Amino acid sequence: MTTLAMGANAPLPSLTFALDVLLPQGAGIDVTALQLYANGKVRGDGDMCFFNQKTIGGGAVSLSISADKQSFAFDLAKVGSDVDKIVVNATLDNGAFSSVRDLKIVTSDGIEMPVDTSDRSEAALILCEIYRRNDQWKIRNVSQGFNGGLQALAEHFGVEVAAPAAAPAAQASPAPAAKPASVPETPRSTVNLSKVSLTKQESTISLKKADGKFGRIRVNLNWNQKPKPGGFFGMGKRSIDLDLGAFIEFQTGEKGVVQALGNSFGDLNNMPFTKLMADDRSGTSTDGEWLEINGDAWPSFRRILIVAFIYEGVANWQETDGVIRMMVPGQPEIEVRMNELSTSRKDVMCAVALLENDNNQIRVSREVRFFNGHEQVDRAYGWGLAWRAGRK
Amino acid sequence: MAVSLQKGGNVSLTKEAPGLSKVIVGLGWDPRATDGTDFDLDASVFICGEDGKVLSDGHFVFYNNTKSPDGSVEHTGDNRTGAGEGDDEQVKVDLGKVPAEVKKLVFAVTIHEAAARKQNFGQVGNAFMRVINQDGDKELARYDLSEDYSVETAMIFGEVYRHNDEWKFKAIGAGFEGGLGPLASSHGVNLG
Repeated sequence: MTTLAMGANAPLPSLTFALDVLLPQGAGIDVTALQLYANGKVRGDGDMCFFNQKTIGGGAVSLSISADKQSFAFDLAKVGSDVDKIVVNATLDNGAFSSVRDLKIVTSDGIEMPVDTSDRSEAALILCEIYRRNDQWKIRNVSQGFNGGLQALAEHFGVEVAAPAAAPAAQASPAPAAKPASVPETPRSTVNLSKVSLTKQESTISLKKADGKFGRIRVNLNWNQKPKPGGFFGMGKRSIDLDLGAFIEFQTGEKGVVQALGNSFGDLNNMPFTKLMADDRSGTSTDGEWLEINGDAWPSFRRILIVAFIYEGVANWQETDGVIRMMVPGQPEIEVRMNELSTSRKDVMCAVALLENDNNQIRVSREVRFFNGHEQVDRAYGWGLAWRAGRK
Repeated sequence: MAVSLQKGGNVSLTKEAPGLSKVIVGLGWDPRATDGTDFDLDASVFICGEDGKVLSDGHFVFYNNTKSPDGSVEHTGDNRTGAGEGDDEQVKVDLGKVPAEVKKLVFAVTIHEAAARKQNFGQVGNAFMRVINQDGDKELARYDLSEDYSVETAMIFGEVYRHNDEWKFKAIGAGFEGGLGPLASSHGVNLG
């Protein structure tokens, strides 16, 4: 393991490697990677790898996000010859990096870069840069940043940022076509960096679409899947398995539940226009569980309640550090963190978010309420389904 | 076309510019673009004899002593932020006036209050040292250090030294522990 202190650099042993940004639990941190050219700037949206665009450069850089780390896969052979360097950045939703402990970058080649966050007033940090030097790729621990957060960082690298808006913002425009090398001025572009985090304080958002057709809506449930040690010799060590599900009600009064339990996976093109993609109980999937909603059928929905439940294991919700993300085409990503304390260990179910049809808009509300089972949720929300016990 | 040196390399200034008498040694780096305390870098010159020590304390030319006793070496001042084109600090050297017992001029750059500010050279971009012929302002040689440093807080950038009847420039790029004080002591300066 090579440890690079702030400012130190080292050659990269291989062209393909993973770079993990290890995050402290519960910190609202986003990571981005930017391809920069000789002038130290991006050329367009296509140079920015972040949560709304997880792959850039034809696979040169890809991002995957899980609860305790955000990981970039690099394939430097694919990086364009005119790219000077790639910077990896971390930005905070709130506050300064002095509030963050244990931020660390580790590559699969065994290069470790600790970030000293004490006394740091920055809300955005350039963590490291991957750059060419005499036909050799190198990496440097930069650990410098901007008090002004993502906005200041993006502007520094020539990314024009759309003003943050609670209302739906325009989708990032496609990357501009390559310009002849003789054009000195690189085109400026606008990237939509908005992401809506529903909190106790700001708990609802409305998504508008003139025709009420929202396209393919994707809902992701992710959580900390690290097994907790338990018992002698690690016996009894197991990871928590969270399941994703949805209570559905249509304008017609028809109702149903989509969940792995009872193999009620649903259907995207027919009733209930909602489908649970796969139930991965192996714990090896790093991006959690996915549910899709046919948003073109939204006018026929009355409401959908997104729920998470613990099928096996102790109902310790805090330990799961779960998060629901909802991706609607052309809309900012919506995130709800299950960061409340449940009052009872019997609370195996969490009603996370409620989607309601409001004149064909989608009103999304953060719920994060805990219950001891389906029936209790049903009663609390007045769904009116008949319940019996079942097993997957 | 100026000679571009790699770490450890050297060039004869006299051969590059026959009849050379006065040079400007320019030192530069990028200013800080990110937020936080500015990088305040200081250039110093140690005017050394055969033993590698300064001839006298007055032969340590830095921000508080900008001229050597004989007037052959003059530090033209401190640029606190590194902003502006070209060199951030310049030292004028009249090679013809440098006393015969002087064997070398050692050029060092240190980061002011590096430890307190948690700064090091690896955070400073594009540092260089170059030698310019005062007669015609032609750049004779340049050394780009930016890959030859990382966590150092004091660096010897290079030396201008006598070799037989020539003046030569050598790219050193060596870090030094502890900042300007210990660096000065190691060159025989008596610190008050």
